[in-house]
Parts: sequence; structure tokens; C-alpha cells
Amino acid sequence: MNTIQRCKSALLAAIGLTAVLASASAEAGPREQAKRMHDRLAGVPPTEAVLDAMEAEIANGNRTGAAEIAMQNDEFYNVTLKNFVTPWTNRDGDVFAPLNDYTATVIGMIRDDVPFTEVLSGDILYVADSSLGLPAYSMTDNRLYEELESRAINLQSALVRTTQSAVTDLPPNATAGVMTTRAAAEAFFIAGTNRAMFRWTLLNHLCDDLEQVKDVTRPPDRIRQDVTRSPGGDSRLFLNNCIGCHSVMDPMTQAFAYYNFNGETGRIEYTEGQVHPKYFNNDANFPFGYRTPDDSWENRMRQGRNALLGWDDTLPGTGTGAKSMGQELAASAEFAQCQARKVFRNVCLREPVDASDRAQVNSMVTSLTTGGYRLKQSFAEAASYCIGD
Amino acid sequence: MKQQSLNIAAQTLSRARNLVALVATAVLVSACSGGAETTINPVTSVPDATNYNGPAPATADVQAYKLNVWDNIQAEAGCGDCHGTNGQVPTFARTDDINLAYEDSNPLANLATPGDSRLVTKVGGGHNCWLSNDAVCADLMETWVTGWAGELVAGGGRTIDLAPPVPREPGSSRNFPVDPTLFATTVHPILTQYCAGCHTSSSANAQSPYFAEADLGTAYDAAKPKIALDDPSNSRLVLRLGSEFHNCWGDCQSDAAAMQAAIQDMANGISPTQVDPTLTISRALTIFDGVAASGGNRYEANAIATYEFKSGQGTTAFDTSGVSPAMDLTLSGDYDWVGGFGVTIREGRAQARTADSRKLFDMIQQTGEYSIEAWVVPANVVQEESRIVSYSAGATSRNFTLGQTLYDYTFQNRSSVTDANGMPMIRTPMADEVLQSTLQHVVANFDPVNGRSLYVNGVLVQGNDDVGGGNISEWDDTYAFVLGNEVSGDGQFAGTFRFVSVHNRVLTEAQILQNFDAGVGEKFYLLFGVSHLIDVPEAYVLFEVAQFDNFGYLFSEPHFISLDQNAEWTGIPLQGMRVGINGREIEIGQTYRTLDVMLDSTQLQELGQPLTELGAVFAAEQGPEADEFFLSFDVLGDNANVRLDPVPLAPPPPVDGDPVADIGVRTFEEIDATMSSVTGVPRTQPDVRATYELVRQQMPNSDSLQGFLSSHQVGISQLAVEYCNALVSDTTLRANFFPGMNFNASANAAYGTQAGRDLLINPIIDAVVGTGLASQPARATVEGELNDLIGRLTSCGGGCEAGRTETVGIAACSAALGSAAMLVQ
Repeated sequence: MNTIQRCKSALLAAIGLTAVLASASAEAGPREQAKRMHDRLAGVPPTEAVLDAMEAEIANGNRTGAAEIAMQNDEFYNVTLKNFVTPWTNRDGDVFAPLNDYTATVIGMIRDDVPFTEVLSGDILYVADSSLGLPAYSMTDNRLYEELESRAINLQSALVRTTQSAVTDLPPNATAGVMTTRAAAEAFFIAGTNRAMFRWTLLNHLCDDLEQVKDVTRPPDRIRQDVTRSPGGDSRLFLNNCIGCHSVMDPMTQAFAYYNFNGETGRIEYTEGQVHPKYFNNDANFPFGYRTPDDSWENRMRQGRNALLGWDDTLPGTGTGAKSMGQELAASAEFAQCQARKVFRNVCLREPVDASDRAQVNSMVTSLTTGGYRLKQSFAEAASYCIGD
Repeated sequence: MKQQSLNIAAQTLSRARNLVALVATAVLVSACSGGAETTINPVTSVPDATNYNGPAPATADVQAYKLNVWDNIQAEAGCGDCHGTNGQVPTFARTDDINLAYEDSNPLANLATPGDSRLVTKVGGGHNCWLSNDAVCADLMETWVTGWAGELVAGGGRTIDLAPPVPREPGSSRNFPVDPTLFATTVHPILTQYCAGCHTSSSANAQSPYFAEADLGTAYDAAKPKIALDDPSNSRLVLRLGSEFHNCWGDCQSDAAAMQAAIQDMANGISPTQVDPTLTISRALTIFDGVAASGGNRYEANAIATYEFKSGQGTTAFDTSGVSPAMDLTLSGDYDWVGGFGVTIREGRAQARTADSRKLFDMIQQTGEYSIEAWVVPANVVQEESRIVSYSAGATSRNFTLGQTLYDYTFQNRSSVTDANGMPMIRTPMADEVLQSTLQHVVANFDPVNGRSLYVNGVLVQGNDDVGGGNISEWDDTYAFVLGNEVSGDGQFAGTFRFVSVHNRVLTEAQILQNFDAGVGEKFYLLFGVSHLIDVPEAYVLFEVAQFDNFGYLFSEPHFISLDQNAEWTGIPLQGMRVGINGREIEIGQTYRTLDVMLDSTQLQELGQPLTELGAVFAAEQGPEADEFFLSFDVLGDNANVRLDPVPLAPPPPVDGDPVADIGVRTFEEIDATMSSVTGVPRTQPDVRATYELVRQQMPNSDSLQGFLSSHQVGISQLAVEYCNALVSDTTLRANFFPGMNFNASANAAYGTQAGRDLLINPIIDAVVGTGLASQPARATVEGELNDLIGRLTSCGGGCEAGRTETVGIAACSAALGSAAMLVQ
């Protein structure tokens, strides 16, 4: 039997056995629950010893303890969290995208129990331990993270915390968590009008697309000149559709007025005090529109129907720059709800579908907001809930 | 009451120069064209004026009158037939003495505001208009009078009087209900019975608006602008029958009465909207209560064909350049007139007769250069090879074409360095996406030295013509001028034309910018009275208001002004200004609701104290004749209207979804990590790594069971084979994984007994399936399957070949590793 025949035999056998084994029983005692919990959190089956230990914890009523054992597995970081975060880092939601500084920073924050609210505002970055002999962090390429991935280096131990202002030329006040990472900039600050950064941040961290937050009753005074008020000669399109998203989005996107990603140099650019020319693209489309003077932003979602997103009354709802805008977003109830829902989806393999699921998510939100925004806690709680019975 | 005169830059002086130049050029030979410092030569069309043999003009002004007005009213308007020598008084068209004609014309002309001249208003009112459209006669007459005035006041400006409007309280008003039921039972039946012959899209003689459409929603939307709910007798649907005798189905007066009664029935069913008494509001105005602010200081010295689309009805777009012969366009196909001047072509064209089009050939050949200028709104950015402005004969033969392809404007010009199709063309840079589906000012220039160039919104966006200039001697004078399509019908451009002009000189950058800044369309200054709210006499909030398109109004340039020149004020707060329409505040588009300014008479500029540079667009409701606007203020002076945003109601909890599986499959990297974890083979093992990279995107990227495909399984199996191959091929790894198993023995020896098979099977099951897990497949079942597999693979007849033991091991391992026991989580 040659190699090809050998492979064919094995393939056919594997496919045949899959069909037979697909109808396995799903009864769940503590041991089965431990297996599922480990599968969901680490992405890989447990060793016999780990399974025994988790089974014991669950049998003793300590599901969280069992989950914490599972999250000690390296693959929780190398596989589960990496694939949890990677789709946030590009416009296509592509889970196959390479490891990058955005993903690594979120993984590191979760590992170190950094309050997750800092994800949109912190001067924070995770790079590789210098002892690993990897390329240094670069503002102009992603080699460090690609090598981390290609060499299958354990992220749980390899990542070390630093600041963006220490390894880039961004001043501390210009750092805004993952929004000012190189990967996010490459995806969302490149070309265009910088609205992409707001839209995808909203999508990935508040779980709302513009369609959900559009509100045609907001004043359109901050909508920029590039938005035609009569698309194709029909102002109804603007008044019924465009205005709803842009009246919410444009006053927020102004926070990014000094940022750009230079596709030629491959680096994020920050020009303090100088609005990037992209903010004046197509400014003859509607000359009576808003002309961006600086990076001041205003959250128009605090009024109208979007008040239900739960904004923090201790914050002013206005500010300058991406950092304070990120703080505004992350302090909202919607942000916490979004994180809980994302974790629930990731662990339970489904969206919340009924009152029980929704109550669980709300419970996770409460834990998150009162427990220092530790996302590991959310993973443990979701795994405990979806443990099977 | 005093009026404040505001000195506005003269908007039409250039027309005057144009017309004067017409005659002057008759005796001039134009200089050779080309070169940077080209001297502007006048247009070379001459009105066919009657020979004049009387006394010479006594003054320069009489001469200006003769050249600009008298020659034209003799040649074109035919006024001399009645108002000529010994004719009806006033004899401003008499031919015996130009000075006497001039004297008679003086009371008929307002040289400060030519549009207000009796000569203009009289023909505009239908008095012996020599064309089919009174408005066009008025436009031409205004052009001629402006020419006269331009000679008189060249270099100066003209004044516009901001007259205070008649104070009027915002009235209660009927508004169209969203639900068309009332329309369906009152007006719609008449429309469908008597108007469906033309005013439906399916008619052979389809004429928009389609208010007789069987589809109620379509008909309702189309009929709204034609219905005046607050004054049914003033509805266009009524006037068209009763006054204009438009296709009556019986006696026009009876038909009009029936239509009016139906509209009255509809109006009776609608309760008037009352103005909220708690609001702090201004006086009210309709758009036509304003002072006309149309046009600006355009450069038109060399315009040889101009279309302003002012007529608003009919099938003709008139050439109002004043240059003979008039190259009027006939509209055909699916098109609509646009309020505030314009025409939208969806599937049709506006084409001139070939004989008239020859004007372009003749006059452009004289200069060798030209400029196409247009204000257009492309309907979309997906149409390709669409002709916006074309002078051509078909898909492959043209003199020039300004076109659209996706996000680009294109420009073809037939010359000595191009083919007969004007190719190669130039186009705006693709990456810049210059063409947008919005109102844009486009200029296409050609001259023999620099070739072609394209300007959009006053900016040069394409100045490189790779083939250079060349001459246009090969142009064909049998081609036709057309907007919106190729003459052969295979280059449809869907979009709106607000203005088109062809010049027989290139426009300079400064002239292009000047024309861009002048804007387009009909505009009015609206003065919203607020003196009753603050202690400032004759105080107004001024807006420039225009019909933005057929569906909305543009409010811009808000200023605070007092028409009392002696008035002074300071420290008056103005906050939160909203626009109201027909008795209620508009909900959407309130740009000025965040306004917060302090009024101070020291801040006055040309139009008063500017409040903001922002503009706002509001939806039209009953049409420009009927829509009545007012302003409301959160704070104005001592008047305050405290508003609280309503607290939004929390949405009800979502409905429970259908139950979904609470198990799923591992995804690609989980599978890889799991196989590595189970077999002990590192993920970085080269063969494994290579196969993983190969099948990574073939394996599941979603954990959904429903999304699992057979192709996923093939990828998983390939990877399983590779891991098992790596495991069994590595003597150290396999020794650890399969203790006691001798892969060097023959297959029959190794697997001849159950005990021998168990050395292979048990470690596999322990690793892949686990132990003591009821959620996994039953151990006996897996054992049975693997035993069967081993049995089949070791049935070699006369003995298995060397290496079969490893092969069987790999197969058994792969079968288990690539199975649901590994995959399902």
C-alpha cells in the first residue's frame, strides 16, 4: 500500500467512524460537566488528572474553582482567547487573521485581571518577554506577533505588560487602549474618514452596529461636509436614513481627528492639534456641513432613545481625544452587557435565547461591574452556567 | 417703514457684456486661440436685427439699449409688430428714431433689478410671449435688460431691497396623514378615472408625476405637491383644469369643481394642526414670501448655450443664453422637473435638433476651444459609460462628451490627436472617487494647447491630457447635442441637471471658481420677524432658503438683522432655534437646535449678524407654495421655553428564541490543539504544521453544529492522518503512546490476536474518548469499529506487505482522532 492509499484508507476510516460516533449520549454528571467545562474554556480535552480534579471541585459545588483549573491550561490563552479577540481586529471579522498587538493586549489584560474598561483608554500594550529572543515591538510591522504565533510560543507565559507610550511615539494622552494599537489603526484608521474606528469599536465593544444606535431625532449640526444631504437628488434618503447614524457617529468620530494610519510607512500617525486632511474629504458635497476644528467629541447618545445604553452620570459626556471617548464608551452599561454576552456566546456556543439565559448574562454583568471588570470571572461564570445537565 | 438696501454683487453683468459683445464681434476677427494669455473674444452670434436707418443714438446709454434690448425685441420678440412706429403706446420698439424708443422704454425697465422690469413681468405674465413658455420669455427679456443695465453700471453692483414681509402668525394647517386611506376615497378615484391615460408609469404616453398610478402609495406621494389642503381651490390639480384647460374630460369648469370638491372632502377629514401655545415662535413665511436671491455673479461672457431648467413643466428645456439660434432641448422618456430649477432624467434624454446643434460647431470652430459647465447630481455611482453632456452621433462618433463611469467623470473630445470617438478619453483619478452622488459643479475644458482638463467643485482634478491638444477641424456638424444619454440611446445617465452651459472659450480657474461660488438654483431670503419677542425694532432672523430638491428645503446663512438702520442692541441670548412647518416643529434635521449665540449689533456683517455657518435640510410637505415656515426658540431675549428630552421607554424583554443545541464542534485551532494534546505530537512538527496551514481554513471556523459540512470533515481527517502519521512514525512518541506495541512486527503478528489489537486500540480510546465519560461514545462501540477496521486492513490474502503494521496503526488512530469523539464539545 503506497502513501496515498494509506492516507485514503485512514481518511475513509475516520469519516466512517465519525458518523458512528456522532450519536453519543449527552448525560452529564460532574465528570461530564468537568469535561465540557474544560473543552469550552481551554478548547482542548483535559488530562486525566485535571479531569479528576475538576470533577472533584464540581462534585463539591465549586464550579468556579473547576473553571479556574481549566483556565490554567495554556490553550485558554493560545487558542480560546486568541480566537475570541482576533475577529475584533479587522473589518471582516476574520478569525484567521494573524496574532497582533490588539489581540495580545486583550489576552494579557484578561490574564492579569486588568479592569477591562481600560481596553478602550489605557496606555497599555502587551509584548513578548525579551528573553525569548523575538523581534522588538515595531510601529511599522507585525513581525513580533507573527513570530509568536508561528513558533507556537505560549502566550500565557510569554506576554509582558508595557505601555504604548514607551514603545511608540504616541504621547500618553494620545493612547486609547486597543484603539491606538497598530493593528486597530491599520484596520480602522487607514484611508477613509476614521468613522470606521468608531463603528467597529461600537460593534466589538458595545455589541451594537450603527443600525441599532441610529436616531434621526438627534441634531445633525456635527455631520461633516462629506455627507451628501441629497443622495442622488433625493433628500428623503438623508432625512430618513443617513442622518440617523451620522448624527450619532460624527460627533464621536471627531475624537480621532488627529489620527491616521499611513499605509506606506505602515505606522499610526498622531498630529496633535492638527486635524487630519481626511476629515475634509469631499467637503464640497455639502458646504454647509460641519467642518472639524479639533478633536473634541460629544456623546449625543446620552439623549434620546440611546440613553437606554446606560451612560455613566459621573462622566461629562464630552471631551477631547480618543482616550476620554474610550472611557465614555467603556463606562456604559452597554459595554459591560456586551462583554458578558460575548463571553456567554463563546462559552455556551449560543446567544442567550430565553429568560434564564438573559438572567445569567445580567448576573455576569453585575459580577463584572462590581468585581473590577475581570473577564476571567465572566468566563468562569458562563462555563459554570453552561456546564450541562 | 424703512427698507435696508443691501449691496449685493451684480449677478448678471456678464450677460450684458455678452450681448454687447455679440454685435461688436461681428466686425472682429478672432485672434488665434491657444496660449496662456488668451484674450477673451466675444461671442460671435448676432441677432438678426432690423436694419436701423434713423438718427444715431444720442448717448452711450441709448446705444446700450439698442444693442441689448431693441435689436433683440425687433429680431426675436417681435414687439415691433405692435409697439413699433405709430403703433401702440409705449412705442419702445419704434424703428424711426432709437432715441424716442429709448425714452418710451425707460419707464418699462428697472435697471437696478432687471427682473422687476415691466418689460420682463409683462411677457412673463403671458403678454404675447413669442415662445411656448412665458417664463422663458421673461428670462430672455431679463437677460436683455440686464445687458443694458450692465453697460450702464459696469463695475458696480446692484442692490437688493430686503423688504419687511407682512407680519403673519403661524397658522394652523392641515397636514397630509401618513395613511393614504382618505386620499383613496376622495381624490384618487378621480385621478385614476380621468388622468391614468398619461399620469401612470405604465401608460404609453407616460407623463410624470404619476399621481394616477393604481398603486396607492405611489399615487399619494406624487399627488401631495399638487394638492393644497388649506386652500383646495389653489391646488394645481384644480388650477390645471379650471384655468389652464389641461386635458379636461368634460367641461373644464365642471371638472375643476369636481376635483376641488374631492380635495375639499379630503381636507375636511383632516384636523388642522394647531401651533403649540407654549412655544416661543417667530412670525411665519412661505418660501415665496422671501426676497429672490437667485444666481450670483456668474462668468458667462462666452456662453453660447445655457440651460437653467426654470420652466418646471412641459417637454422643452430652453436655451436661455440669448445666443441665436436658441438650441432648445426636447425632453423624452422618464423624467421629472425639479423644484427650484432642474430636471431629473431617469431613463430618457434631452436632445436638441441637429440644425440647432450646429450652433456649437460653428461657434466653437471659430475659437478652437470650449468649456462644458454643468451642475449635476448623478443618481448613483454604479452607472458606466453614461453620457452627461454630449455632442455626438452614437456610441462611437462624437465631437465631445462629458460622461460618468462609476466614481469618475470622463471627457472625450474629437481632435486631430484622438480618434473619431474622442478616444483616448481623460477621466478623474479613480482612487479619488471624485464623482459623488450629490450636487456637483463640473467643468470640462478643451483648448488646442493644453488639451482636455476636468474641474469638479472649482478644483482641477484632472489636468493631464496625455495626447495633448490638437485641432478640432474634424468635428462633424451633423451631430446632435444631448443631455442624459447618447443620441443612439445606449449611454443612459440617470441623474439631475440643475444647470448646463457651453462656452466657446475655456473657463479660467478663477472663472470656474467664480461660477462654482455663485451656486445654482432658485434661492430666497426669508425674514422671520421676532420684534414681538425682543426689544429691537424691525428685528428678523434671516435665512437663505432654497428648494434643495423635489423633496426638501435647504436653510442656510442664518443671520440676525434689524431693518431699522438706527437700531442697536446687545446681550440678547438666542439659544436652541428650531424650524417649524405648517403649524408644528419639524422633528428631523434641526441643525440649529444646538445654537447658542449672543446677539450684538456690533457683530453686523453684510446680511446682519451671522448666527452660524451651518445649513439645514428639511423635508417638504405640501410643496413650496403651501409650506409655511416659522422659527421657535428655546431662549430668545427674556423668552425661555424649557425643554426636557422625553425619557425613552425601556423595550420589552425579547421573545424567547427557539431552543438551540447546547453542544457544538471545536473550531480549526481548537482541533489542531486538541490533536496535539491527544497525540503528544507538537503543533510545530513540520509535517503537521504544513498540513494544518493547508487545511486550516477548510476546517470549521464556527462552533455551530448546523454549520458543519462534509468538507470540514475532510479537512479534519487530513489533519488527523498527519498527526497519527507523525505519532506512529516517531519511535519515541509511539513507544510512550502505545506501550508494548511492536510496530516492527508483521501486521498479522501484531494484530493477529485481540490482545495485540488492544495494545493499539486502548491507548487511542483512552486518549481520544477518555474514560468514565457518559457524554462520550460507548467504549465497546468504538472498540468494535476499530476492530472491524483493523480486520479489514489486515486481510491481505497471502500476507501483508512490510509496513502494514504502521499503516494500520495510523488508520486506527486517525479514525478515532478525526471522529466526533474528538470534535464535539
